[in-house]
Amino acid sequence: MKTRILHLMAAAGMLIAGCGSQTANIDVMHDEGKAVMALDYRDFDQAASELVQSLLGSGALKKQGGGRYVVATGRVINDTMQRIDTDQLMAKIEIEMLNSGQAVMTSAIGSGSDKLIQETRELRDAEEFDPGTVPERRTLIAPELTVSGKIFQRNIRYSRGKQQVEYYFQLKLSDVKSGLRFWQDEVIVGKRGSNRSVAW
Amino acid sequence: MKRLGPILIALVVVACGCYKQQDSRIHLREGIRSDTLDGNIVTRPVGRAFSDLIGEGLEITHAITSRNDAGLLELQVQGYNRSHRTKRFRYRVEWLDESGLLVTTKTSVWLRMSAMGKSPFIFKVVAPRPEAVDFRLDTRKWE
Repeated sequence: MKTRILHLMAAAGMLIAGCGSQTANIDVMHDEGKAVMALDYRDFDQAASELVQSLLGSGALKKQGGGRYVVATGRVINDTMQRIDTDQLMAKIEIEMLNSGQAVMTSAIGSGSDKLIQETRELRDAEEFDPGTVPERRTLIAPELTVSGKIFQRNIRYSRGKQQVEYYFQLKLSDVKSGLRFWQDEVIVGKRGSNRSVAW
Repeated sequence: MKRLGPILIALVVVACGCYKQQDSRIHLREGIRSDTLDGNIVTRPVGRAFSDLIGEGLEITHAITSRNDAGLLELQVQGYNRSHRTKRFRYRVEWLDESGLLVTTKTSVWLRMSAMGKSPFIFKVVAPRPEAVDFRLDTRKWE
């Protein structure tokens, strides 16, 4: 009797597991999924696209006398309740700045820096490396502009069972030499939903 | 009783004559502007019901392109929401180069836009790469 019950339970368990919802890939091109309270990739896509268009449309990246600006990525502060890698926003912006033909990004300094650039220079006295292949001194180009920003969040009680979460994406472009700010903009992504939804 | 007809006609003519054409750049919404013959407390509910019935929606009136100082193509889209309801939608612009090939960009994503009922709307998009010479715009409902 006991064995039969155990068999039945095992069969029922397998059936339940089989009926569970299957994992599906998201169609990131035309995602018709419902909005979520936390920030998802659609919010980053939208914020990055709007910020890039504002930046390129402003003409702030057009260099007097032609040529391309050298831009370094500064600090982008995450002041939300979520664990965000700010590169999720900045990578898209850097790509579009590069592709615009108006700017070239530097990997020598800033938050987008590449350690190997410095490490390669430390090989000048290393016997294992051909000195002719090691970069000479004073070859790095200093940035002319920096791009930095902040993402922050505000949670507001909307009604008894509803909350409003506001996310602010702020970005600014500053001239290194003069310290003057050439461009600045903000994109707001607002969400309203149940208090039971967690925005972090 | 026979006099009532001409009086009513006269009233309508006077009312129409008093209606001043506004500057097209300034849009006064219902509840702010003066009522008109086709938009007052009596005719408004009928108009709304009819609008819903025939499924009025957005209409694009102009799509203007120009190159900005940096040599990037800018697209400005102007339209009008014929419906009485606010229409929330998403749009996506794809850019094409001289050969008609797609210019790949991270900015070609579904962006939000909304147009209030019986109101004009306008939005501007900038091509992120100088090789863009033409565009394709797609829309969908804002879920």
